[in-house]
Amino acid sequence: MTTFIRPSTMVLAAITALVAALLYSPLFVPIVSSFFTIKGGQVDWAAPTASAYTGLAGNGEILTALRTTLIVGFSTVILSVVSGTLLALYTHGRRRGRQLLQFIIFLPFLMPPVISGLALLIFFREISFERSLVTVVIGHTVFVLAIVYRTILTRLESISDTMIEASYDLGATRWQTFWRILIPNLSSAMIGGAILAFALSFDETMITILVTGTQTTLPVRLWAMMRLGFSPDINALVALILIFTILLCVLAARFLIPRQAMQAT
Amino acid sequence: MSGTAVGRSSAGRWDGLVTVVAFAAPVFFILVPLAIFLGYSFFSVHDGTIDRALTVGNYVRFFTDPVFLPVLWNTCLLCAAVAVICVLLAYPTAYFLTQLKGRWRYALLMLLMVPLLMSYVIKIYAIRSILGQNGFLNKALMALGIIDTPSSLFVFNMNAILLTLTLLLIPFAILPIFLSLERIPQILLRASDDLGASSAQTFWRITLPLSLPGVASAASFVFVLALGDFLTPQMVGGTSGFTFGRVLYSQFGTAFNWPFGAALSVILALVVIVAILLGERLGRGPGVTQ
Repeated sequence: MTTFIRPSTMVLAAITALVAALLYSPLFVPIVSSFFTIKGGQVDWAAPTASAYTGLAGNGEILTALRTTLIVGFSTVILSVVSGTLLALYTHGRRRGRQLLQFIIFLPFLMPPVISGLALLIFFREISFERSLVTVVIGHTVFVLAIVYRTILTRLESISDTMIEASYDLGATRWQTFWRILIPNLSSAMIGGAILAFALSFDETMITILVTGTQTTLPVRLWAMMRLGFSPDINALVALILIFTILLCVLAARFLIPRQAMQAT
Repeated sequence: MSGTAVGRSSAGRWDGLVTVVAFAAPVFFILVPLAIFLGYSFFSVHDGTIDRALTVGNYVRFFTDPVFLPVLWNTCLLCAAVAVICVLLAYPTAYFLTQLKGRWRYALLMLLMVPLLMSYVIKIYAIRSILGQNGFLNKALMALGIIDTPSSLFVFNMNAILLTLTLLLIPFAILPIFLSLERIPQILLRASDDLGASSAQTFWRITLPLSLPGVASAASFVFVLALGDFLTPQMVGGTSGFTFGRVLYSQFGTAFNWPFGAALSVILALVVIVAILLGERLGRGPGVTQ
């Protein structure tokens, strides 16, 4: 198929370029300022510097917040993937109660985060549960569960029953079938779901602000610092997070996209 | 169809127990908090303590006080504007993506989704610095000779919230539109072509109607996300950009009126539900009845 470029295609390409520029403009600012100093609103292009990066290494407050964020992220991943998988296994092929359970799981994802956050805030107070990182992890898990559950359920539904029947026919027990057939087939969806959960948890701000105790995660720390303006080392952190995020994206794509892409094209 | 594999259990007793276990955590951590929250909206506050006698006072206050309804209405208009702008930008972009082939299509889609995973707070901060008095936007406008002095039109007001939310939420509009465009069977487009339609006619009479479900869900998606956001207005709205999300949030901070905040949340939830249902209804528009 030969392609020639029509004027309409050019317009579309131009709009796409504009959208990409708009989307990336907020990312561009901190990255530029992580390498160059800004004086009086002017970027000093002449003197690139890595001082922001060395400054970051010495900023204990930020590093503590980063560590807290990672702890929360990993806890959320484990909790949401385990419960998401169990819930997917439960609802798969079951009709009674399935709609209701899915509705409950999807509620926090459909409702604005501020509502889930406030509901949990009041809930923890009612049951006299001290706000801490535990409450943050619960808040995050409630929020990401819908995505993880959906990802795993979709994969589960694509596994054909014959494979499982074959396993039984060949004398495997239910336990063996679970570990040797089901889990290996689900693993890439579980990893993909885990990456999505981590990415969402890493950046979750609105629920975290409401349910956090004395220890805070990075986005909430940044939120508190924003009133005063950022020090340059924050820009270095932003640049690093961006690189990390892109890597995470590529990984997620590797686990989630291939099948769909192959079916589509 | 019915009954699969693992999880199927021979004894009904076990099945009941499994069901209880499966429902326990979601009910306890999702449904119960929301129910308590709903209950709170019928409480009231006296002298800084919460009075648990049931009352509809919070709702009466919302509908009678001259402040709250206009704020809700203006916020809805703002978020609708954000949704419209996002869709107008996202549709051509998504359409362009579907014109690309295989690998490129997904690579570019991925590229447009990456900013979504970037810290929300940092993006708000960066956008504020772009829109600000000394920001890039003012510099560019002055360099182009459109304005002489830096304008404060784009910072600490409703315009700033509108622009910021649009920049933040465009990816959420691209994805559903892209998916609905991609789902249109190529056969239909070829048939239209064979029957002598120009590519413009094919677009207006086949592609556009069939992609409307995606447009509707994109719009309701963006609208709902914009409506629930209290960080952006807080950060770029200044004193004049007062949105419903901010009013709600302030009930749990400075105003310290949790029951009234809960009532405002219930109203927010109702608006969100209406928006989602409307998006779904409009999505089932004329095009789908083939």
